[in-house]
Amino acid sequence: MIEAVNLAKHYGPKTAVAGVTFTVKPGQVTGFLGPNGAGKSTTMRMVVGLDRPSAGTVTVNGKHYAEHRDPLHQVGALLDAKAVHTSRSAYNHLLSMAATHNIPASRVNEVIDMTGLAQVAKKKAGGFSLGMGQRLGIAAALLGDPQTLILDEPVNGLDPEGVLWVRNLVKYLAGEGKTVFLSSHLMSEMAQTADHLILIGRGKIIADAPIADILDGGHQTRVRVRTPEASRLAELLGGTGVSIDSSESETLEISGLDARRIAQSALDNRVLVYELTPIMASLEEAYFDLTKDEVEYHSHELSDVASSAPEGR
Amino acid sequence: MSTTTVPSPSHASAAGTHGLSFGGVLRSEWIKFRSLRSTKLLLLFTFVAVVGVGALAAWLRGTIIQSLMTTGSARPEGGVHATTMTLAQAEAAAQAQGINIYGIPNAGLQLGILVLGSLAVLLIASEFGTGMIRSTMTAVPRRLPAFAAKAIVLVVVSYVLTLVAALVTFLISIPILHHYGIDMSFGRDGVVYGIFMGGVYVAGVALIGLSLGTLLRNSAGGIIVLVALFFVLPFGTQLLGLVPGDFWKYVNQYVPSVAGGRMLEVGHKDAFIDPHVGGLLFLAWILVVTIPAVITLKTRDV
Repeated sequence: MIEAVNLAKHYGPKTAVAGVTFTVKPGQVTGFLGPNGAGKSTTMRMVVGLDRPSAGTVTVNGKHYAEHRDPLHQVGALLDAKAVHTSRSAYNHLLSMAATHNIPASRVNEVIDMTGLAQVAKKKAGGFSLGMGQRLGIAAALLGDPQTLILDEPVNGLDPEGVLWVRNLVKYLAGEGKTVFLSSHLMSEMAQTADHLILIGRGKIIADAPIADILDGGHQTRVRVRTPEASRLAELLGGTGVSIDSSESETLEISGLDARRIAQSALDNRVLVYELTPIMASLEEAYFDLTKDEVEYHSHELSDVASSAPEGR
Repeated sequence: MSTTTVPSPSHASAAGTHGLSFGGVLRSEWIKFRSLRSTKLLLLFTFVAVVGVGALAAWLRGTIIQSLMTTGSARPEGGVHATTMTLAQAEAAAQAQGINIYGIPNAGLQLGILVLGSLAVLLIASEFGTGMIRSTMTAVPRRLPAFAAKAIVLVVVSYVLTLVAALVTFLISIPILHHYGIDMSFGRDGVVYGIFMGGVYVAGVALIGLSLGTLLRNSAGGIIVLVALFFVLPFGTQLLGLVPGDFWKYVNQYVPSVAGGRMLEVGHKDAFIDPHVGGLLFLAWILVVTIPAVITLKTRDV
């Protein structure tokens, strides 16, 4: 459980995080979605105390991170795949982190096996590819078998197999009742992994809801219809609250009517229909819809966005 | 690399349940220290170099004293017939010029402080440089235990290395000095004291190095400041002694390297601070950099 209340971070005159309040609950995967520079990494760094909040508070499992007796058992964090001494082997890196909490060496070997690093564990971490560095960061996060997992862009640089592995891992851990907080700027990734979504843009929370609600919310479902008599059907269906687009011949994209009413209308008028597909709004569309307002209202601050919060410092 | 296996259920027991402890943090810092090959090589090199310089100093000081005994002067001037000296007279004459026998075990110390001081800067600055510091501070979010553990590792390593090097130098110097008729033994005034204090000085320099690395977060910058403090400052303040007025003559003995070096000597010197005053001054210098370093580490974002 992560609870942030009016959490803010300013770097001089620049605002990276502008007073956000949110709760990340156990037992589900919570996605933290936003474009680069939105304040995701800064927020996550504040959770584990690497950055000191300018205002507000954030607690993990009821306490400030630094006040826990066993921080690595409370929170496992992958904030930066490069948080490793380049001349030290992966094994020794993990062993040194484990030693702080008297975590046995057997657990080090366990997370090395889990993350598929066994072949390279004795090699210098500086020579690792982005994907292997990412695996090492995940191994470090898992070391204390933590109650809460914070992963900043965990699939960056991973191969498809690794992406799938991370997806299964976080779902599995959430299923075990753990709190999983996962950031990404890849919306497709979020759509497949997260149960709940917190959208952040320019340091502010734009949406905080179950992923299904975000996909439905405010966005009308469209129906794609293929028919040889496209223009006739369009005429028959046209009316208030209905909008019809035609991007290619014999194809209509209709919103404002559900598939059943379109089919009924086609049947009544003897129009042949050979495809009738409800189209789910994609997370991308939902995201752009939600952020559009934010951009419009604050367009005068645009220069600010470009240079705000050093993401992934 | 195959990672398609579903992670096996991990139990809290597998990851231990002891939580954070200072002993654990200390062990962690020791693992970090010993797991860099460059560090081990550097320490070996330092040991050999410190002992080597010590042996060289034993030979050099032996020849100087022998030359004093036969000619009455370290650098005999042509034409002047010098009187001969007894061994005791020669040693006293040499000591008046700062060439003492009891200081031989610590003769290589300048090399020791250069390498171990730089190593101390690197110990933390390289963590800032590579990003490792974020792993360290996530595991030890109160931060100061990690700094303290690094300091302890450095102090122990510096002290032990210097002590062993001083003992080995002492043993090597016995036959060398014997060749010149000089008796080197633990019984000689200042020998035991010097052997045990050399490590204190080097450990102090290491603490200053660690603090500089913490303050500047940059390896090159930290080492440059360290070298300026211990090698440029004493030289510069010595030149200041040429400025008319008594005040400038005394500045030199208050800089860290001169005060710290004085700490290793025994006996009174005219117009010079006493060894224990030198020790206190050196301690003050350590605190002047360590306290801001600790405050900065605790409060600044990493």
